[in-house]
Amino acid sequence: MKLAPRLAVFLAAVTLGAAACAPQTSGNSSSGKDEKTGTLRVWLFQEVNNKPKERAVDAVLAGFERAHEGTEVDIEYIPVETRAQRIKAAFNDPSSAPDVIEYGNTDTAGYVEDGGLADVTAEFDAWDEAKDTDPTARRSVTVGGKVYGAPYFVGVRALYYRTDLFDEHGLDVPRSLAELAATARELRAAEPGLYGLAVGGAYTYGALPFLWAHGGELATGEDGTYTAAVGSAAARKGIEAYTALFGDDNCPTAKCAGMGGNDTVTAFAAGKAAMAIGGDFSHQAVEAGKVKGKYAVVPLPGVQPGSIAPAFAGGNNIGVLKSTAHRSLAVDLMKRLASKKAQGELFEAMGFLPTFTDVRARAAESEPFVKPFVDTLEAGTRFVPASPAWAQIDSSLVLPTMYQEIVSGKKDVAAAAADAARKMDDAFGSAG
Amino acid sequence: MTATARARTGTPWIYLAPALVVLAGLLVYPVYQLGLISVLEYTQAQVSGGQPTSFQGLGNYAELFGDTEFWRVLVATVVFAAACVVSTLAVGCALAVLLTRVRAVPRLALMLAALGAWATPAVTGSTVWLLLFDPDFGPVNRVLGLGDHSWTYGRYSAFALVLLEVVWCSFPFVMVTVYAGIRAVPAEVLEAAALDGASQWRTWRSVLAPMLRPILVVVTIQSVIWDFKVFTQIYVMTGGGGIAGQNLVLNVYAYQKAFASSQYSLGSAIGVVMLLILLAVTLGYLRLLRRQGEEL
Amino acid sequence: MRRPWRFAAEASALLVAAVVAFPLYWMVLSAFKPAGEIESDAPRPWTLAPSFDAFRRVFGQQEFGRYFLNSLVVAGTVVIASALIAFLAATAVTRFRFRFRTTLLIMFLVAQMVPVEALTIPLFFLMRDLGQLNTLGSLILPHIAFSLPFAIWMLRGFVKAVPEALEEAAYLDGASRARFLWQILFPLVLPGLVATSVFSFISTWNDFLFAKSFIISDTSRSTLPMALLVFYKPDDPDWGGVMAASTVMTVPVLVFFVLVQRRLVSGLGGAVKD
Repeated sequence: MKLAPRLAVFLAAVTLGAAACAPQTSGNSSSGKDEKTGTLRVWLFQEVNNKPKERAVDAVLAGFERAHEGTEVDIEYIPVETRAQRIKAAFNDPSSAPDVIEYGNTDTAGYVEDGGLADVTAEFDAWDEAKDTDPTARRSVTVGGKVYGAPYFVGVRALYYRTDLFDEHGLDVPRSLAELAATARELRAAEPGLYGLAVGGAYTYGALPFLWAHGGELATGEDGTYTAAVGSAAARKGIEAYTALFGDDNCPTAKCAGMGGNDTVTAFAAGKAAMAIGGDFSHQAVEAGKVKGKYAVVPLPGVQPGSIAPAFAGGNNIGVLKSTAHRSLAVDLMKRLASKKAQGELFEAMGFLPTFTDVRARAAESEPFVKPFVDTLEAGTRFVPASPAWAQIDSSLVLPTMYQEIVSGKKDVAAAAADAARKMDDAFGSAG
Repeated sequence: MTATARARTGTPWIYLAPALVVLAGLLVYPVYQLGLISVLEYTQAQVSGGQPTSFQGLGNYAELFGDTEFWRVLVATVVFAAACVVSTLAVGCALAVLLTRVRAVPRLALMLAALGAWATPAVTGSTVWLLLFDPDFGPVNRVLGLGDHSWTYGRYSAFALVLLEVVWCSFPFVMVTVYAGIRAVPAEVLEAAALDGASQWRTWRSVLAPMLRPILVVVTIQSVIWDFKVFTQIYVMTGGGGIAGQNLVLNVYAYQKAFASSQYSLGSAIGVVMLLILLAVTLGYLRLLRRQGEEL
Repeated sequence: MRRPWRFAAEASALLVAAVVAFPLYWMVLSAFKPAGEIESDAPRPWTLAPSFDAFRRVFGQQEFGRYFLNSLVVAGTVVIASALIAFLAATAVTRFRFRFRTTLLIMFLVAQMVPVEALTIPLFFLMRDLGQLNTLGSLILPHIAFSLPFAIWMLRGFVKAVPEALEEAAYLDGASRARFLWQILFPLVLPGLVATSVFSFISTWNDFLFAKSFIISDTSRSTLPMALLVFYKPDDPDWGGVMAASTVMTVPVLVFFVLVQRRLVSGLGGAVKD
């Protein structure tokens, strides 16, 4: 065989080559430095209407620069859409990395796994304001018992409904999930051009309250070792309750199976739906639509009449990067940005809900619109598993696929939930 | 070897040098890294130096080939890309011929419209098409009287909608290139054919097509390469792969499986597989051409 | 051609033009619609209350003018550099016979087949090691590399179309190789260069991927597509803003197109002249 020796030489060459230029990595360790002067770089998310946020933040920065002589803050607003690349890139190139960042709270575990965020447990525990942080918000900065940032604001969803239609048809606001489904069907029957309750097959955070309200869980276990629980009997009941809302008697499958959260809110804002599950952050979009002045918001009801379904607590956190050379200053800036005062001002500027229970209660008094959202938060919220695997589960659309398989009739609840559980366990297993 | 002869063999390499330097540095080397990453365990933790890389052999490929979804997506990608290529070429060539038959004003109108479609960023094009075909808010269903028919629900109708958008934004390249090619054919040749009483179709088949051959080859290969790698249109229009992933194509699959969650080795393995398939298709096509006496 | 036939052909050309232009019209229209009207259950192909709000949001962004300028610099540099380099390379592979010629040609093809998303990781580290991160160079260099293979393939035909006799005549007149290359061959393939430039211009102008991967900490080096992405907020996308930003992005390309339209056609036509 002539080929064999040649092949051997080739393989040897390749192996040598591989050893010589292995793919690059970056030593991302803490810099060990803690300079007390200089420039701090901060990245916050750029909102569509960013000016009020800039004003609120500028006030904080001015105070910070006054308190620490010889420091300057260089702030940059980055588009949310590009955050994944930008923040990963910052972990890989410490020289372009900022000192303090705002990040989505579902990304916490992933960023910690990537080795990007600094552990600020000691400082957070010593911070006197932190005791008023609501427990779910605290959980959203916690991985493996350690704290990796300060909660900045929370976002939560509740039930938007059309007051004019409810009056016209003499309907009461639903007090349980069963009543919600019945009311939705009545509305659809009375107004055939409208969805009763707009639901979406790709609207994970609108569907999860149903699962949690029925006693289901996404996964069980603590920090690091999770096992998927979407296949359990309770979870299946919740999945069943949500998917039963798809169909010609409420939200036609052909249109609703592909909808995401934004689509359902858009439908509601345009007067195409009698009810929808929307966030406090959807308020502006709905106000700009046709239903302005004709709607109200209540917490999404739970299984028991009068109860509130556990909602997903979204929102953003402020964190310090491990690679910072100004650790003490960065932590101080983080605390100032996420302080009670700053969160109160951010709420006034942007309507973002504070993460401190007392600040939030005051916000609800000053702005009645946020009351149902605050009530939802007070009733207890849930969070996604604090595992780096969540990013993988989320981006490979495990849950939307499960809901869509069921509503499109490709699989029954048990089979689809079992498949989703298997995919989640794979992810938990591989991400450790 | 004489001095001049040596100069002649050396010259092409001097001309090629800038291109080769750029390509070696910015394409070949990264592609080599891609191949390397595909046989390692390489996630964000390895990238940021948190954990050492470890050699996996063909493990990533085994994982990929062992997944039934991968095969389903692969088949869908090949069929969808083929449909896109054929439709784009057909529309582009037909309109190119049409352009030669009309006077300046309609020609300019069609040309400008096509160039506009070409210039639109893919993200925007996809969003606009989605708005146009939206069951609730779009004008298309109104005009066609389809009520609130949803185009993105059925697997085939969703693929068809994406295909329309892909053809819309890629036929201009074919049309303009082929039209330019036809224009460059000497008028006498066409007149001679007309005098011989050849029909339109015959003129196309036996006079134009052979002369346009080099252009058609380039256009076909480019279309195959582009359509096989379709990403934005599927990602935006079907919401990341359609109902329960029914509209996934390889590039989107790789993105979801791998890049969005930083499993770079798996994503690289899919990239390598895509590269090999495209290579096989293109080499097969070129071989076919060569057998018919065409040269590169 | 007989009259009714030509009439039919012209009518269908206009019809096709209208169909093709309709999505563009819808884009511009949506940019002018006031908030809330884009998603109305009675879609109308006009708007009674045109509003500049969306455009105001686009132009009101931090350093919008800077982004525009950066985009121009990047696209301009890529177009010129890749045209020159591709011209030389295309000359080499068409006017000379040498070993590995076919292999090289195939390699230029293969180079286009790699999914770009997969290459951003290796390219990121390359740019970091070259110290190019956060500079316009990190956008220019990869874009030159990605435009080159296609440009070389397209230019081959144009270079081939210049008769060999011309080259021999030039040498007989005592012209040097360089003189022939730049003063005789280059002007002759210029229309072809314009045609291929259109491709590199569009792909560079519309690129999101490199811009969001390599410009990390210096927004003053960002390009136009970044100004568009701001409006794609996951929970609350601003379609009016997206459409207005896209309109602003598309117009310069259209202007460029209209300017080179004639050259584009005569240029691309050169590829078949043998």
